[in-house]
Amino acid sequence: MPAPRAVSKAFLRYRSVASDYRQARLARLRAAQNADGGWGYFPKRHSWLEPTCYALLALHKDAGSEQAWRRGWELVRSWQLADGSWKPSANVATSGWATALCVTLHCVQGLFDQPFHRGAEWMLQTRGSEGSLLERAINLVRPLPVEYDRRFKGWPWHPETTSWVEPTAHSVLALKKSAAKLPGAAARIEEAERMMADRRAKDGGWNYGNRRVLNVDLPSFPETTAIALLGLQGSKVVDLEPALLLAGRHLRQTRSPLAKAWLGISLRNFGRDLPPPAASEPGDDLLLAALEALAYPQGGHQWLKAG
Amino acid sequence: MAQSRLTTRRAFFPLAGAALAAGCSRTRRANSAVFIAKAASYTADLARLMESGIQACGLEVRGKNILLKPNLVEFDPATAINTHAAVIAAAFEVFRKLGAASIRIGEGPGHRRDTLFLAEEAKYRESLSGFESFFVDLNRDDVSAVKGFADREEIYLPNTALGADLIVSLAKMKTHHWAGATLSMKNLFGLTPGSVYGWPKNLLHQVGIPRSIVELNRIFRKTFAIVDGVVGMEGNGPIQGTPKPCGVLVMGPDVAAVDATCCRIMGINPAKVTYLQMAGELGHTEESHIEQRGESIASVRTPFALIEEFRHIRLA
Repeated sequence: MPAPRAVSKAFLRYRSVASDYRQARLARLRAAQNADGGWGYFPKRHSWLEPTCYALLALHKDAGSEQAWRRGWELVRSWQLADGSWKPSANVATSGWATALCVTLHCVQGLFDQPFHRGAEWMLQTRGSEGSLLERAINLVRPLPVEYDRRFKGWPWHPETTSWVEPTAHSVLALKKSAAKLPGAAARIEEAERMMADRRAKDGGWNYGNRRVLNVDLPSFPETTAIALLGLQGSKVVDLEPALLLAGRHLRQTRSPLAKAWLGISLRNFGRDLPPPAASEPGDDLLLAALEALAYPQGGHQWLKAG
Repeated sequence: MAQSRLTTRRAFFPLAGAALAAGCSRTRRANSAVFIAKAASYTADLARLMESGIQACGLEVRGKNILLKPNLVEFDPATAINTHAAVIAAAFEVFRKLGAASIRIGEGPGHRRDTLFLAEEAKYRESLSGFESFFVDLNRDDVSAVKGFADREEIYLPNTALGADLIVSLAKMKTHHWAGATLSMKNLFGLTPGSVYGWPKNLLHQVGIPRSIVELNRIFRKTFAIVDGVVGMEGNGPIQGTPKPCGVLVMGPDVAAVDATCCRIMGINPAKVTYLQMAGELGHTEESHIEQRGESIASVRTPFALIEEFRHIRLA
C-alpha cells in the first residue's frame, strides 16, 4: 500500500533529520571542549561550570562521547570548594548557584559519595537573604514596593543575596533527585515550592522572580517558566496545569532559541508531545547547543526529571 | 544644534579658564563639557550630530579600542526601553570614521538571558551588518577580579570591558523607579556578569543602587556618555514606563555632568538624585561647573512624569 510506505519514509526522514540535529550539537560540544576538560559559554573561552554541566548532561551515555565526558567530569569534581559548594569558573573563587547542577549530575550517575553529600548539605544550608525580622516588620507597617511573601525562601544566584526563581528551580530539582539519600531535604523542597508559588506571575508563569512591583503585575518569561516547571515537577503545592498550558503557548510564540530549548526540555519531561525541531546547524553558543541537544526527543531531557 | 557654535569663544574660554584654575589649585577641577544636540526623530542624521558632540568635547578616538555599551534590558515593541538601534548604528559609524582601532558592542541584560535574541528583537542585528562578529554578551564573557567594590573585597568584571581603552555608555534617557533616573552612569550595571551574579544582578541591589552606580563608574573611568533622549521613558521606568519624546542626544566625557544635564532637561533636580549626590569625586553636577555646548538646556527642556515616590526630586 503506497500510503503507509510514504508515511514510513517521512518518519524515517524525520528520524534522520532529528538525529542529525542532536548529533550535530554533540559533535559541536566535543569539538569545543577546552584543554582543561570544561566548556566555555563560547568556543575558545575559559571554562565555566554552567555550560560544562549542561554539556555533560547532553553527552551523558552518548556512545562516542565517553572520553569527553570523563574529562569534563574530572574538571567538575576538581572545582568543589572546601565548604561543599562549586565555584563558577577556575578564577572565580566564590560559591555558585550551579552547585545545584553538580548535585544533579551526581544523581544522574547514581553517585552518592562524599562530594555529593557535601554539595547537597551546602545547598540545604544556603538560602536567600530576604525576609529578616526587620524587613518583615516594615512590610507589615508599610508594604514594600516589591510584593512577595518574605516567609518563603529559595536559593540565591550569589551568596548573601535574595532568592530568585531560576537558582531555586535548579536547587529544588537537585534536592528532589537527591531526596532518597537526603532525609533533611523535604522541608526545604516544600518551602522553595511555596516560594515559587508565591512568586508566580499573574499570567500563570514565572519571570526572574518578581510578580508585582509598585502595583504593576509583571509578565512571565518563556525560559523561566520552563525552568520553574522543571523544579516543580511532582509538586503538591502548585497547580501546574495552567502553567503547562502557558508554556505551550510560549513555545508556539517565542522566537528565542534559548526559551525554545528550555521549553522543549521541560514540556517533554511533563510528557507533552512536541513537534520535532527544525533542522539547523548549531551556533557558537555552547550552552544553547547543549540545551538544544537535551531538548531533542530522547536527547537527555530525562536527566532533568525529578525523582 | 548649530555646529558653528562649537568654535565660538563662548565655547572655548570657560574651559580654558577652568583648566587654568585647575593648574593653580590642585583641588579644583576643570569644568566639564556637555553637548546637547536636537534630534527630532531617529531618522535624523545622528552620526553627524554625534561627531559634532565628540569634537566639541575634545574626545580623542584614534587608535583606541572602543566598547559601545547600549542599554538593552527587555523588549516590548509598544514602549521605549532600550537604546534605539539607530543610535547604536550611528555611534558605530562615527567611532569607525574617527579612527578607532576596534569597536565592540557589549551588553549584559539584567533580566533575560538570551541576549542575542534581545538584540534581534531590538533590531540591533538588522541595523548593523555583521553584528554578531563584534557583539559580546557581557553576562557570559570571561572575567577578572577587581579589588574593592563598596564594602566588598572584590568584584568580577568582564575582560572585554576591563580591556577597553574607552567605554561609550550609550544610555537611554529614562526615569527609574528605584534610582529616580537611569542615564549614562546607571547604564554600567550591564557590565556586571550574570555568570557570577545572576539575573538580576542582585549584588548591586544589596550594596545599594546609588553606591553601586558610583562604584562601577569609579572602576570604569575611561568613559564617554551618549544619552539617547530622542524618545525617552517617563513614569514607572526603566521598563514599565511610557515613551516620552524629548528630541535630544546628550554627550560628554564627564558622565556625572552628562547625567546632571539630562536630569535638568527632564525636569529633575540632580542635587536630589542620590547617586549624583554621591558622584562628587567622579565629576561635576553643579550647573556652574558644566560647560554647555550645542543647544541650551532651556531650549530642549521636557519635564518627564515622575512616580509618586520620586515627586520630591522635581526641579523647582
